[in-house]
Amino acid sequence: MPADASPSSTTSRSDRLAGVGTLVRFLLRRDRIKLPAWTGGLGLFVVYLAVALPSVAATEEELRSATQLFADPVGRLLIGPGYGFDEPSFERFVANGYGLYFAIIAALMNILLVVRHTRLEEQTGRAELIRANVVGRAAPLTATLILAVITNLVAAVVVGVAMVGIAGFATAGSLVFAVGLAATGIAFAGVATVTAQLSQYPRAAAGMAGAVLGAAFLVRAGGDMAAEGGTALSWLSPLAWAQQTAPFVLDRWWPLALSIVFAVSTIALGHLLAARRDLGASLVATRPGAHEASARLGTPVGLAVRLQRGNMIGWGAALAIGGLAFGAYTDALTDAFLDLPGAFTELFGADDLVDGYLAYMATFMAFLGGAYAVTAVQSLRGEETSGRAEPLLAAPVGRITWLATNLVVTTVGVVSIMAVTGLATGFGAVLVTGDTHHIPDLALAHLNQVPAVWVVLGIAVLLLGALPRAVAGAWIIVAYGLVVGTFGPMLDLPEAVLELSPFAHPAEVPTETVRALPLLTLSAIAVGAAAIGLLAFRRRDLETT
Amino acid sequence: MAHVITTEGLVKTFGSTRALDGLELSVTEGEVHGFLGPNGAGKSTAIRVLLGLLRADSGRARLFDGDPWADAVTLHRRLAYVPGDVELWPNLTGGEAIDLFARLRGRFDRTRRDELCERFDLDPTKKGRTYSKGNRQKVALISALASEVELLLLDEPTAGLDPLMEAVFQECIRDIKEAGRTVLLSSHVLAQVEALADRVSIIRQGRIVESGSLAELRHLHRITITVETAESAHALERLAGVHDLRELDGQFRFEVEGDHVDDTVRALAPLGVRSIVAHPPTLEQLLMRHYGDETDAPSSDSAR
Ligand SMILES: Nc1ncnc2c1ncn2[C@@H]1O[C@H](COP(=O)(O)OP(=O)(O)O)[C@@H](O)[C@H]1O
Ligand SMILES: [Mg+2]
Repeated sequence: MPADASPSSTTSRSDRLAGVGTLVRFLLRRDRIKLPAWTGGLGLFVVYLAVALPSVAATEEELRSATQLFADPVGRLLIGPGYGFDEPSFERFVANGYGLYFAIIAALMNILLVVRHTRLEEQTGRAELIRANVVGRAAPLTATLILAVITNLVAAVVVGVAMVGIAGFATAGSLVFAVGLAATGIAFAGVATVTAQLSQYPRAAAGMAGAVLGAAFLVRAGGDMAAEGGTALSWLSPLAWAQQTAPFVLDRWWPLALSIVFAVSTIALGHLLAARRDLGASLVATRPGAHEASARLGTPVGLAVRLQRGNMIGWGAALAIGGLAFGAYTDALTDAFLDLPGAFTELFGADDLVDGYLAYMATFMAFLGGAYAVTAVQSLRGEETSGRAEPLLAAPVGRITWLATNLVVTTVGVVSIMAVTGLATGFGAVLVTGDTHHIPDLALAHLNQVPAVWVVLGIAVLLLGALPRAVAGAWIIVAYGLVVGTFGPMLDLPEAVLELSPFAHPAEVPTETVRALPLLTLSAIAVGAAAIGLLAFRRRDLETT
Repeated sequence: MAHVITTEGLVKTFGSTRALDGLELSVTEGEVHGFLGPNGAGKSTAIRVLLGLLRADSGRARLFDGDPWADAVTLHRRLAYVPGDVELWPNLTGGEAIDLFARLRGRFDRTRRDELCERFDLDPTKKGRTYSKGNRQKVALISALASEVELLLLDEPTAGLDPLMEAVFQECIRDIKEAGRTVLLSSHVLAQVEALADRVSIIRQGRIVESGSLAELRHLHRITITVETAESAHALERLAGVHDLRELDGQFRFEVEGDHVDDTVRALAPLGVRSIVAHPPTLEQLLMRHYGDETDAPSSDSAR
């Protein structure tokens, strides 16, 4: 039976890759905006840091007091092993203080790139149009990975040139840093190559790769917190290897061998899995669903719940697991805090450092809650542009009803996710400390941030109504909150800059007690923005692609 | 005549769904072969197996002289494909998409591309996101029709086209037939298959239930006769091979099996025929016969 013949035995290698060259050129053309935007963004990040840092910490002395905060356990949890912070310089501060965030951006860039050019193409049927031509079975995936490598190399060049040419950093360290960034990026391209084979849905494929990224963050957080320079646990994380090159300190290349081996193995596994399946199929089989719509599905609210629940449960589970881990780090921190210099208190602005840490974690989770809210609104935009919203709106469901019910579901989703995450963080803390008050404290601390998350949601809806193509702009609030909220206090940024972030306003529970006024103000802003968004949505054209 | 496509006992399952259940299909060189079946019958699955995009569980498929899975790349040089539901890249123009397919396939007639754009009234400078379903379909059609290949695999290729464009499409297929090229045309637009196909294979639940020229198939099926007679024609109901006799505004309308036409006409003559109209079976009726009997009440089913 020819149907059972193995493809490799009958198909020559060149056939399997037929058309790769044309496809790579085509992918470059498709990404003509995305590629420069991502890589240029990374370069600008370097330039920004190089320009901004000296204005914040003009002298080595001031820099030393800033890095001291990073060198402590909580600092390491957030930024990495903290190489070179005993003798800080601007280049060390940029590479070892912000390197993790460069790596996360690179990882996200690669995950989205790979999923966009593989699974999304299959889901839309465009891959079929391509493959019906003289195109080898492995060619589209290979072309995608070539594009990923090109993109990462461009990013490395841009970042390297920015570091050496604009910031004036040492060449050797800049080179290690830039290449490490590319290696991490390619490692996550490998992760996405595998997850893209596992699910039929691009969003699930990206979500799985994102979960691996989250796990990589948590694993190295635990490892790096425990000791300066990291511990064995750190080395299990693909995010750690580039950091372990210790740019401008040790400048060692060999940890990148791990990134390369990891990338090669995941890419090989991805190719192997891809060769074993049909076009458009997945290794995780889709199960048949319900025969009939349940009664609840027949209402706008029921449908909104049904369409949003996957995203909601995914974010809720990810945040709860993260919370559990962060809560469980509390004990190790308590020990480490005992011999900390007083300067540390600045980070959390609190005397009780454990409470300060937990209060920061509640804020940190609120950033992620904001990210959830943006994805929920973006998927509503997806419902609109894909045309799926059209038949609903043609049925006797008003536009306002459609958007408002979805908004209500997300609003409730934000509350549930924050509550569950707070409980999980508290539970993690109780596990290691035995102090049961952490559970109600942290539930309250997380709920206290809900109105700030609502502001993000409200503004996202405002954009959806008034500037639908710019819905993704709501990410700026989340990113701004994260950067300013995490690094702002240490960098002595002006109060006005800090207060632009909605997340800066709720009281720092459990260090402080809940204050009602900021919560009411934030809620009012959220409601106002959402209301304008709803009205604008009713007035504008529906857009489908 | 050489066979361009042959499948024997092709089976393809998706979990518990048997999309192809022993498919036997053969298409000979130079013919336009209609591939008819209702939604979910397995037409697209069969075509995807022939393209080497899906791998059959068992059975044999030959395309030209190769195996569709193992020799996919070589075979694709000789064919072009148009799916029923075309998605394009939002930030590329239709023209760019056509050229991409052309480059990926190799052989391509540039002037013919421009001529086809004109005939199909397609503006190739528009971005993919601005095209309607019909225009996206045109992009795939133009790309396939402009390529100088031996075989066209068309899977419900005109699903989004208006009647005017449908007519242009039919002209193009006739040109291709004249040039001696082969077409497999899957469709549920029966008029289209009637207008174009030399031979037809009817697929149902993953199996070919009927295959032959339109004339051969008609012979197997019923003719619809409408008569106006001086006397009541109710008695005809008792004749062998007569079905669904109904009286409507003083006219009688019934179906008669191909083999019993002679007897029926003889029985009609003494009744004083004032007018008579006979329709050959439409492909709708052919399909009804095959798919309507699932509920095992063909007479009441087809009496719509
Ligand atoms: N990728 C798939 N996964 C699961 N079931 C499928 C898949 N593709 C097709 N099917 C099922 O196989 C059957 C045949 O489908 P298809 O070949 O698309 O029919 P047609 O093109 O004749 O409408 C249908 O029951 C369909 O639901
Ligand atoms: Mg089909």
